[in-house]
Amino acid sequence: MHNLLDDYALDNGLRDASPHLKLFLGLASMIICVSSSSPLAPLFVALTMSLATVLLAKIPGRIYSRLLLVPLSFALLSAAVVAFMHGGGTPLIQLPLLGLDLAVREEGAELALLLLARTFGGMCSLYFIALTTPMIEIFATLRSLCIPSSIIELSMMIYRYIFVFLDQAARIHSAQVMRLGDARARSAINSFAMLASVLFLRSWEQGERLVLAMDCRCYDGKLEMMEQAAKATGRQMLAAAAYLALASTIAVLSRDASLL
Amino acid sequence: MAMTAIIEIRDLSYSYGDGTLALKDINISLEEGCKVALVGPNGAGKSTLMLMINGILRPTSGVVLFAGQPLQYDAASLRAVRRAVGMVFQNSDDQLFAPTVYQDVAFGPTNLGYPAEKVKRYVGFALQYVGLTGYERRPPHHLSGGEKKRVAIAGILAMEPQVMILDEPTSNLDPASSEEIMEMLDELNQGGKTMIISTHDVDLAYRWADEIILMKDGELVRRGCGPDVFMDGNLLREARLKPPLVVDIYQELASRGILSGSRPPRNILELCDLLQPEGRGRPLGKIYIWDVDGEDEVQVISMIDRMENCYKGAMGTGAKLLAERCGIHLDFTYGVIDKCILKALIGKDSLIMTSGGMVEHTMKRISDYSRESGADIEAVKIQRP
Repeated sequence: MHNLLDDYALDNGLRDASPHLKLFLGLASMIICVSSSSPLAPLFVALTMSLATVLLAKIPGRIYSRLLLVPLSFALLSAAVVAFMHGGGTPLIQLPLLGLDLAVREEGAELALLLLARTFGGMCSLYFIALTTPMIEIFATLRSLCIPSSIIELSMMIYRYIFVFLDQAARIHSAQVMRLGDARARSAINSFAMLASVLFLRSWEQGERLVLAMDCRCYDGKLEMMEQAAKATGRQMLAAAAYLALASTIAVLSRDASLL
Repeated sequence: MAMTAIIEIRDLSYSYGDGTLALKDINISLEEGCKVALVGPNGAGKSTLMLMINGILRPTSGVVLFAGQPLQYDAASLRAVRRAVGMVFQNSDDQLFAPTVYQDVAFGPTNLGYPAEKVKRYVGFALQYVGLTGYERRPPHHLSGGEKKRVAIAGILAMEPQVMILDEPTSNLDPASSEEIMEMLDELNQGGKTMIISTHDVDLAYRWADEIILMKDGELVRRGCGPDVFMDGNLLREARLKPPLVVDIYQELASRGILSGSRPPRNILELCDLLQPEGRGRPLGKIYIWDVDGEDEVQVISMIDRMENCYKGAMGTGAKLLAERCGIHLDFTYGVIDKCILKALIGKDSLIMTSGGMVEHTMKRISDYSRESGADIEAVKIQRP
């Protein structure tokens, strides 16, 4: 059995909180992160969002940190490149390499730090949404934001069948591994190609069966939406507003601050 | 007696696009309220035939009649027929396409154009019937196989069909789940719905169906009651089937002269009666029947405590859920009436908790048995205190 983000989204401490509020909180924090000119506010957002995800939503800390490692490793790499490539100021580190003058200068270092902090803060906000809000409620929220229903309906079905195909892909893969389909690099590539083509055919067939199933139940172009989940209480809204105000204040006050 | 054929199939043939003949000259008429099993090996044409009945496939020649009217294949008539003839697919993942249980069950009613409030009521009713109240917001990939099948059935029930067609309803289900699903189908049939299932599980078909339609290579080979069809060894061999276990045992015992009688038993109860027709020296046990609809948990627990020495069984989804909530250990959850009669025959008392108006059915079943067998088993209806 796979353990997917979706499983956590469906069963966490903040599952019943208003999806509108969670989405708004996450998105607003992200905007604060990218518009802050110092790393302080993004780091504050990263810390608080992580605490909310782990303590309030009760997502296991180990899983959460492993999830964060993925984007963080990308961010570290790009920050390193930026640090070397950018800016002026006094050199902090110098690496003479084959006659090239590789150096991290002050401006470059600051920019790299900002980049890292923004990515970190943004990812924590995104994970806050992803780990606390199930897709089905995001669909309902999209509907209330007047997104065309055909787009929402398509995405709902795509969402539903992702799991059916994930399951099939996993089964095909095990069947291949059982017969040593991944023994050598060459056969692994072949197996993957086969898996992809079989999966394509199966999804085609599944599509035909889907039409059949919908016809059997008198499909007339309508798909019922889930009822809107809990509304946010006044206290929750107030708390969210206070949090966002605090984060923006930090962003404004620290606009000229530097960590170096 | 004037019989109303709800579904009639006349001289129906069907060939696929490449000319392969899938069904040949099928003639069937089914009465309203019947309980039919289409039995046959893989590729016999069972599923194809089922898709003919609700107009998904159109016969190459011949006609399908619903309630005396030939099927029309324009959009409006098809909608009417598909609403009246609900189909449950073999693979629940084909059928459950909405991201939540609620949305899936609401799909049919919504497309029938019901107002939101009515949709909600129908979904609530259907989910309650299959025992999945509280599952509304769950996505189908978080359900077990049995739960998925229940949601699929609820999705059809919410459209109030007269006929339900189920393609291999128990494939891929564990034994307890499949017994529960079959019992639910029984309950629905008691409520007046015509039931058609396809299966290659001969034991299931034999025990459950009033009528067997045996198919092979796109043809209808035999139609009749269970014993007629399943006593014919040659026929079964040709159709790549085997006799049901009870029939097999009966035939072996009869050939050894241990059993006599012209009709094979339908189930274990009948087999036991054949083996021990009058050897009941001991006193018979009683069967208490209790309609638990509307009872609260406190009452149930106190009643169960008083009936400590009884075997306990529950029939119907409501009764089973109530028993689960009260933490009652149930001895029987399927085939309950038969099991309780078997216990009564060896002098043990039992209590049947029922729901959904199954009391009369249960009383009748026990009194029918008493009359036929001569064993006067007392069935006691427990009245609300």
